[in-house]
Amino acid sequence: MPLENSWLFPAIESVHVMGLAAFVGTVVLADLRMLGMRLPDIQQLKSWTHAGLAAMLLTGAVMFFSDAARYQHNPAFRVKVALLVLALVAHFTLRRSRTRFAAALSLTLWTCVVLAARAVIDFDV
Amino acid sequence: MSMFNPLLELARWMQNTPLRLDLSQSTWAVPIIGAIHVLAIAWFGGTVLVNDPRLRRFRWIGLSILLATGALLFWSQPLRLYYSQFFRLKMLLLLLIGVSALLPARYARLAMVLSLVLWASVICASRGIAYR
Repeated sequence: MPLENSWLFPAIESVHVMGLAAFVGTVVLADLRMLGMRLPDIQQLKSWTHAGLAAMLLTGAVMFFSDAARYQHNPAFRVKVALLVLALVAHFTLRRSRTRFAAALSLTLWTCVVLAARAVIDFDV
Repeated sequence: MSMFNPLLELARWMQNTPLRLDLSQSTWAVPIIGAIHVLAIAWFGGTVLVNDPRLRRFRWIGLSILLATGALLFWSQPLRLYYSQFFRLKMLLLLLIGVSALLPARYARLAMVLSLVLWASVICASRGIAYR
């Protein structure tokens, strides 16, 4: 049974978007604070950041493997994965330095990942 | 003889505006507006998790972007969305979010939990709209 034809796919997509809001949402707040904006310290939300990331990676993998051939040949999907790898590496290495450069890079990369992700739908055939 | 339905009439009127044609016939309009809509969820979604006065402005900016892009997305296919059950559910949930924001300050914790649950439900309803 292809995943697309059931209620399962939109349900998994929903968890993916919730993970997006929790993960990128908290990363953006921390990045903007690192850049000097007067925002609250959200250290206590670290578990939301990690839970959001875990939810996104898990549901993303499930959606990909539900129809791997379909996404493999989607140009937006390829760009997204490349950007995702870069963003993840930067997140767990450079961003630890808490410099303004790392924060700006993190904001830019995650923004591009989200834009490429949305384009996956537009390039879907 | 059917009753006058102002919401349906509004959707019909929007359906016949030049803006609806421009939006629905353009190759890039809906993808770009949709991308900004999702990006706003990513950038401003974190504000649902923190109740801090310093975030108030940031939260309103996000909400304004979501409402503006959402309105344009609705304008690109008003009649289909009018008849979509999930779209109706989403609007009802958004209404509830608006009402729960009016809770007095002593219910701050309840309001926080309520808004988390409601926004999560809004996301589910939104994904449903794409399919029916």
